[in-house]
Amino acid sequence: MDEKLSFFKDGIRLDGRRPGELRPVKIEAGVLKRADGSCYIEMGGNKVIAAVYGPREVHPRHLQKVSRAIVRYRYNMASFSVEERKRPGPDRRSHEVSKVSREALEPVILTHYFPRSVIDIFVEILQADAGTRTAGINAASVALADAGVPMKCLVSSCAAGKVDGQIILDPMKDEDNFGEGDMPLAMTPDGEVTLLQADGRFTVEETREALETARKGCEQIYEIQKKALIDRYSRLEEPEEEGSNV
Amino acid sequence: MQCSFVIPGDVVGSAEEFVTGDGTYLKGRSIRSLTTGITEIDQKNRSANVVSKANILPELSVGDVVVGQITNMRDKMAIVALAFKKGYESRPIPRTEALIYVSNIRNTYVKDINQLFGPRDIVKAKIIKEHPLDLSTKDEDLGVIKAYCSRCATALRLVDGKLECPDCGNVETRKLSTDYGLGMIR
Repeated sequence: MDEKLSFFKDGIRLDGRRPGELRPVKIEAGVLKRADGSCYIEMGGNKVIAAVYGPREVHPRHLQKVSRAIVRYRYNMASFSVEERKRPGPDRRSHEVSKVSREALEPVILTHYFPRSVIDIFVEILQADAGTRTAGINAASVALADAGVPMKCLVSSCAAGKVDGQIILDPMKDEDNFGEGDMPLAMTPDGEVTLLQADGRFTVEETREALETARKGCEQIYEIQKKALIDRYSRLEEPEEEGSNV
Repeated sequence: MQCSFVIPGDVVGSAEEFVTGDGTYLKGRSIRSLTTGITEIDQKNRSANVVSKANILPELSVGDVVVGQITNMRDKMAIVALAFKKGYESRPIPRTEALIYVSNIRNTYVKDINQLFGPRDIVKAKIIKEHPLDLSTKDEDLGVIKAYCSRCATALRLVDGKLECPDCGNVETRKLSTDYGLGMIR
């Protein structure tokens, strides 16, 4: 590595953003016809599609809970999503991401409304550019709302990072790979944190700053999620009258 | 009366003003939405509701037509595992059972329920009571829409108003729906 390599040029990041700036986010709800709810999201170079099925019957049966619905979350990276072909199928990393993402969304879903059933969430990473788990959570959250699953609120997610000793919002691939730290956060609009991970080293002060930075990112993403849902249903307003839900 | 578009978590009203209605929950002192939809204030009983615009799991209420399979036969009733509600074919109902009592099968006297239904039959029926769910097949278009031979379990075919087994020639009787054998719900 070249020692002179810097992540900043006159206080501007390599991709032209300021330290506290998000990459452009585009969200579209209801993109899949067969799924009960779906969402497509682009966060910078990340392209993610999420589909929600359910509440529906649980198979295999022994997984069902008598008092509530279970939530299953499958995070999967397409083999073409990264530069070097990714070996398809579940691996150690995708298992972990699936677990933490499920736990990020489960607290807002009213699972006790649907005993003995399952809510399946499938998240496919079509193109990865750092921060796929946060993009996945954002997409899944909108897809759940699109599927009409009763939930207390949406969940928004965003990461903060540390490069050259400075806290930045929403690190992109190079900042994630060669930076000093990465801290994904998921939270509700009320500020309740449902996911917080971190790798790298953060001092107490840096942790505080990173949390605050990521929180601001989540707030911006929440507004975009909200807009996506409003767009989807105001667009439906007219044609839904004659068409059925089938 | 204000109508506005809300998404999950949006404030619909305050707890001092209204009670929580359909599609809402209470958080602190504010009533919030559980789904994506339009707010509706019921002035009569002072409740705040949200009518969902999203693709929700259909609720079952009296008058709805449902389709299901007979899982068990008793002397005076048939038990049906519900599959879906008419108009919502793409959203299967998770694990719900309902009863059809003999007196609700057809308008005339029924001597033997086994002459009208058989195990594994697919029936189209109307909900006449909730909690627990009771179904009726009294209407013309309600009843069995697919039946199986009691001897060899092949699907029965409707020939000149009679149900015949194409394999063993067995002839059976059922409370037939006008939709029998069409493979679709009208």
